[in-house]
Amino acid sequence: MVNTSDPVTSLALMTLFAVVMGTLLLVAVAFFRRWQQIRYARHAHALHRQYRPVLAKVLSGARGPCAIEGLRELSLPNLELLLDPLFSRRKLRERQLVFLQALCSELGLIALWQRRTANGHARAGDAPSALKPPDSSDRAAIRHLLRAKSIRNLGKLRHRPSWPLLVTALDDRHRDIQWVALRSLGAIRAPESFPALRERLHAAVREGRHSPPLPGLQAAMVSFDLSCAHELLPLLRQSDSQVRRHAMEILRNMVYRKATGQHRLTLTKQLLTPPMVNLLVERLAVDPSAEIRSRAAEVIVFLGDERAVSVLQHLLLDRQWYVRMRAARALAQLHPTSEPIHLALRQCLLDPHWRVRETAINTLIALGQEGKNQLFRHFLTSENEVTRHQIVEVIEGTGLMSALVEEYSSGARGVDALMVEHLASDIAPLGLSGVLRTLNPEARKRFLDRFLPYAEAKMRFMKETQTELETHARLQPALQFPPQLAA
Amino acid sequence: MNHIRVLIADGVTVFNLVVLSYFFVGDGIYTVLMLLSLRATWVHVRRMSYHALDALRHSPLTPAVTIIIPAWNEQDVIVSSVRSALQTDYPDVQVIVVDDGSTDLTLDRLVDHFGLVEMDGTRHHGIPTAPVRAIYINPAIPKLRVVSKVRGGKPDALNAGINLCRSPYFGNLDADCLLETDALLRLMDPIVNSGGKTVVSGGIVRILNGCEARNGQVVRVGLPRTWLERFQVVEYLRSFLLGRTGWHLLGGTLIVSGAFAVFHRATVIEAGGFSHDTVTEDMDIIVQLHQWAAEHNRSIRMSFTSDPVCWTECPSTLAMLGKQRRRWQLGLCQTLWKHAGIMFHKKNGVVGWLSFPFHAYVEGLGAAVEFLGYAVIPVGIFLGLIHPGLLLVFFLLGVVYGGFLSVGAVLLEELTYRRYPRWRDLLTLLLVAVLENAGYRQLVLYYRFQGLVKFLEGSSHWEKVAHVGATVEE
Repeated sequence: MVNTSDPVTSLALMTLFAVVMGTLLLVAVAFFRRWQQIRYARHAHALHRQYRPVLAKVLSGARGPCAIEGLRELSLPNLELLLDPLFSRRKLRERQLVFLQALCSELGLIALWQRRTANGHARAGDAPSALKPPDSSDRAAIRHLLRAKSIRNLGKLRHRPSWPLLVTALDDRHRDIQWVALRSLGAIRAPESFPALRERLHAAVREGRHSPPLPGLQAAMVSFDLSCAHELLPLLRQSDSQVRRHAMEILRNMVYRKATGQHRLTLTKQLLTPPMVNLLVERLAVDPSAEIRSRAAEVIVFLGDERAVSVLQHLLLDRQWYVRMRAARALAQLHPTSEPIHLALRQCLLDPHWRVRETAINTLIALGQEGKNQLFRHFLTSENEVTRHQIVEVIEGTGLMSALVEEYSSGARGVDALMVEHLASDIAPLGLSGVLRTLNPEARKRFLDRFLPYAEAKMRFMKETQTELETHARLQPALQFPPQLAA
Repeated sequence: MNHIRVLIADGVTVFNLVVLSYFFVGDGIYTVLMLLSLRATWVHVRRMSYHALDALRHSPLTPAVTIIIPAWNEQDVIVSSVRSALQTDYPDVQVIVVDDGSTDLTLDRLVDHFGLVEMDGTRHHGIPTAPVRAIYINPAIPKLRVVSKVRGGKPDALNAGINLCRSPYFGNLDADCLLETDALLRLMDPIVNSGGKTVVSGGIVRILNGCEARNGQVVRVGLPRTWLERFQVVEYLRSFLLGRTGWHLLGGTLIVSGAFAVFHRATVIEAGGFSHDTVTEDMDIIVQLHQWAAEHNRSIRMSFTSDPVCWTECPSTLAMLGKQRRRWQLGLCQTLWKHAGIMFHKKNGVVGWLSFPFHAYVEGLGAAVEFLGYAVIPVGIFLGLIHPGLLLVFFLLGVVYGGFLSVGAVLLEELTYRRYPRWRDLLTLLLVAVLENAGYRQLVLYYRFQGLVKFLEGSSHWEKVAHVGATVEE
């Protein structure tokens, strides 16, 4: 049926044969790979089962010489395989890190990882003779994966003496190695390495260099302690707005990292030097770039400086909506707050941009009772329906409605009580009914006992007003002058 | 009579050449994509062994993301997918469910399960959408917000979600999908690492049928029981691991799965939001973004990563499969037609010169070429223009080559993620990869051809695929 002497048919047959063979090869590779992986997994499992108790002892600090001897018997690849899960695990406790670092040092692993890090960063122009002559283990060491893992491990252990090696690894030709080195430098946080990162950041922004990667540099620098921030001063003084913007972004994030670990952060002279503070207040807060102004606002709020308040008040009136929004958001961190700040935030409730209004509402709530009082007073007196609805949205969304209703049920007076009565009878019946459904029966009864008389009185008042209006409308034609007299 | 015969013969010869070119262009490019993907996925998996997602998790530079779940009549699956989205391991995530005028119990189930209450307050206008009826919240679950709106279609629901979203990025998640806990973190990784230049990031979609899920998470991965569903498992592997990875490497991403992807909010709004013109909003938005970027001289990147996993339920009956494939083909044709200006445009690079023409010819018109091929070739044999033996060899070659590509996809899965742990699963997958091209492929081709006909008829009807909840849920 098939004419094999025809050249087209024979070509097609040959292709068919090649494709069939190719498919069979792929199937064989799939099976081989599965078999290899199972063997590897069994080996790793056996190793972990055997040495888990020893490792657990080592990590708890209760190790004996026998434990170490047992681990010394293992070959280096097996040792790395055994310890690898510890390095890829999400988080090790500080105490465990100390013991793990001691163990790795004793077993010679740190020296091995350092050697791999140092040997691997052959730059494009380096002659092979410039490198250490590789022995059999080094040949393996220069492999990309091993090098990357070694750099990761040094970072995970926060091995501070390794920082110069990691800085050198930033010039590696592999982008991945640069990334891992940046992460490790960010984890070690050796202040000595910060200027090197700063210089590379400058080059990356100014000259558009892609290695080391800019996002990686930023992420690494943000991890450093705030005491290194003064090193950013030369960048913040640069004429290039892009350089200033990146430096400002790093500073802002360093400050926020610090702030999350503390109850109330104040940037003292030890944390932020006076020249830095002056630069922030006098130049960066009025920078031509809105991005820089907005980030400056978020740092200035932590200064605890009198000038900070006036600068922030000024930024609340900025021409760019997101500068106003960030300034309003930053004010949530301000302690202690004062009347002018509350009033300035109240002004923001009339801002033309809804994001600014929403941020101002959230900030007033975050500023405590005085902030809330200002917000409620604005709600009760304002005729701006859009802002009033937005306030209701935030009050319901943040769960403040439940707190207000509970307070009202327990007999609270003042502006909070007025607020609940307004919300319940006027603008937020849905949110209130939702809260009442979740309230315990006793509190609900107390709420209704107090609220119903108010609601009835209001209904009566509304009915009377309505009747009055209707009467007025009926009498209106009779009260009007005849047209000829009016003319 | 002779004249007609010569005319038919010429026509059949030309058509045969078109079929041959379709075969060589299609399979040739897929082979190149397979080779590229093999290397890239291998490198990616090795990279993930030392690339710490932990750094991203704790970095203050990691931006906030809102997951938008558009839902229309998804009462059986909505709760588990929302739970899955809420469990996402990400430092700053919000979930907005948009009930797009469901007529079943979708909204009631959400309200009951999450203890939601309707809220008062304002509505913020952005992209025009059908009216919003109500917004539901539970202050105890501040990450969740449910919007009920008048039916306007999936793109409309996504636009309504974007209007409520405050974060710089948003992800869309289909209501029948379950997210792996670290999927969002993995999806955001290329965005953060590109310094924000990447505006779209897509991940892989895997078949949920046959797996076991609890509390919105897949706890045991397995293959489905029916062959129809198994064929789709291999089809998805081929589409994502080979196709999407390969196009991403070439810089020609034209489709990001609508089941789960992350977008830069401001860019999508600037480009006009999700459009109602097509029935495949996922492809449409990607092509729209390419076109918008070219018109506005903006440099944007799109990323595909093969390890953020979103599990989705695939059709388990022929009727449902037909509906799904007809819609996909219709949407593909609508999108290609709508943005035809991209093709061979000097500003569009790989997308305009390679990816778009490939999709137009192989994926769009290919349905007609291949389908009509089955009809025209017998005419050629009847007229003595094609030797039956040669035809048989070419048919076998087509089937075997398809098998080769599918086996390549299974191998790629085996070399990298190995989600199907049992030997039996591997054997089944390989068998399915070989068998898929004799029968199933032709069936899908038939549905694709129907989709193409619907496009030519000018239809824009969205055929709903019912999800029945294929997994075991507590």
